Amino acid sequence: MTAASILAADDVGWQFDGRRILDHVDLQVDRGECLVVVGPNGAGKTTLLRTLVGLLEPASGTVRLEGTDLARLSRRERARHLAYVPQIRPTRVPLTVEQMVLLGRYPYLSAFRGAPRASDFEAVARALEVVGIGALRERLLTELSGGEQQAVYVATALAQEAEVMILDEPTTHLDPSHQREIAALLAELNRRGEKTVVAATHDLNFASLIADRILALREGRVLACDVPAKILRPELLSELFRAPFEIVREGDRPVTLLELGR
Amino acid sequence: MNPRTALLVLLGLWIVTTLGAPLVGSQAISLKDALSGDGTAATILWRIRLPRVLLAILAGGALAVSGLAFQTLFRNPLAEPYTLGVAGGAALGAVLAMQLEWIGTAVGFPAVAAAAFIGALSVSLVILGLAVTRFGVEVTTLLLAGIAISLSCSALILFLQYLADFTKTFRMVRWMMGGLSVVGYGEVLWVAPWVVVGGLALVGHRWDLNLLLTGEDLAASRGVSLLRIRLVVLGVTSAMIGALVSVTGPIGFVGLIVPHMLRRWVGHDHLFLIPACLLGGGIFLAICDLGARTIMAPAELPVGILTALLGGPFFLWLLIARR
Repeated sequence: MTAASILAADDVGWQFDGRRILDHVDLQVDRGECLVVVGPNGAGKTTLLRTLVGLLEPASGTVRLEGTDLARLSRRERARHLAYVPQIRPTRVPLTVEQMVLLGRYPYLSAFRGAPRASDFEAVARALEVVGIGALRERLLTELSGGEQQAVYVATALAQEAEVMILDEPTTHLDPSHQREIAALLAELNRRGEKTVVAATHDLNFASLIADRILALREGRVLACDVPAKILRPELLSELFRAPFEIVREGDRPVTLLELGR
Repeated sequence: MNPRTALLVLLGLWIVTTLGAPLVGSQAISLKDALSGDGTAATILWRIRLPRVLLAILAGGALAVSGLAFQTLFRNPLAEPYTLGVAGGAALGAVLAMQLEWIGTAVGFPAVAAAAFIGALSVSLVILGLAVTRFGVEVTTLLLAGIAISLSCSALILFLQYLADFTKTFRMVRWMMGGLSVVGYGEVLWVAPWVVVGGLALVGHRWDLNLLLTGEDLAASRGVSLLRIRLVVLGVTSAMIGALVSVTGPIGFVGLIVPHMLRRWVGHDHLFLIPACLLGGGIFLAICDLGARTIMAPAELPVGILTALLGGPFFLWLLIARR
């Protein structure tokens, strides 16, 4: 473990119904880094993220936040350091955008869960502004488009004021323009050095847009973890996804093309 | 409507209902008569109607707020103590206590109430155990388990009635219909603290409940203890429903109808929705009871029959509307 690493998984395993979902996973996330986990459906990406946030306790191994075993921290302590954005389906949450984002302040409320303080409302306003959805403040979440809803979920995580943001498939249901907006937002937050980002996706081009490093996960094992240029290679990708790929260079950015094969 | 305004309007309606409902009935009474020392009018108003309306106000509020808490906890608009069998469990406990003639008190509580509470809590825990998997709450399992438990409780209640002698059977059957008829201030004073404390406990957990609306993973990742909030909600509602059922018998569907109507009006924030249900449920049941007292006057219907007649079709409508 390097000194700069903020979140680390140490030989983490998890199984369900006798099937290994995570198998001896080691990873380190450095402070200020953007790590993207890629892999096919069922590779264990969501399970890995849920373990990293503390929603699942690993069956073996440990997850450490700044060197401390996650299991030894209280839920609220964890929530002040790790903000989770689960994969969302078109949502039926019937709250207004502001009510929703305010819920991100839960870990900071007093023990008696009193009324939110001025600092809470300031954090909400900041989060809405950063994400650029201040105008939607009073709208109901159910009235928003998928892209707007995803933005609200990100804003909620921002209001949580955690150093690490952990996002599961943040762009899956979005059209290209909203995918771009979310990617730009994450890259911006990350570049400003405010947030460490861990995201899971099977969208390789999204990964190459924002990642400092990419972790390739296959059948619960780490196949490789390196800078995008080292991961986004045809041989590795076809081993990862069991499908043929071609890589085109766009400047220094590798663009992945799926091939039909011959 | 702004939730604060809606809450004020509800409070106004609540006061009007509490003061007005006792004046209406098979025999109209004017406040002047009752206050001017007219013996009969005063007796009807103060001794018979007022405690009955007060009990309806409290019971309706407790039923509505329990329904709301269940719907949020299980993230399903069809969940309420009645549909999930919790009220059935309470009724079974109470009937058992009646059959075995447990009079007196258990740990300071009337035996029937204590038995109803234990019945309600047991069913809650069984349902929780069945429906909560490591992937969250299985809603289909939840509702089907509720039906199965309700049916089992009904069968056991019938069995107990079969064993009981004629007088006891009549008492049980009448009680099972759910009614507010023969009550005095004693019953009101017995139910009131449960409703007030239960309501406050739920308001105290409004953040947890709001977070549950966004999904269990999101709630847990923000620091909500799912186990704790589940136990709080089930414990609080079981206590309220147990106390209530021991007095009024099972009154169904208030917890289904009232929260549903109020959400459209005050929104989904539990800070406003919980007090709104306490007020709105009371208004609803007091008005239902007014109907039960007057529709067939001078005869009186048990109010449970009336709420079930309204609630059955409403449940079906919710089912269809959700498609």
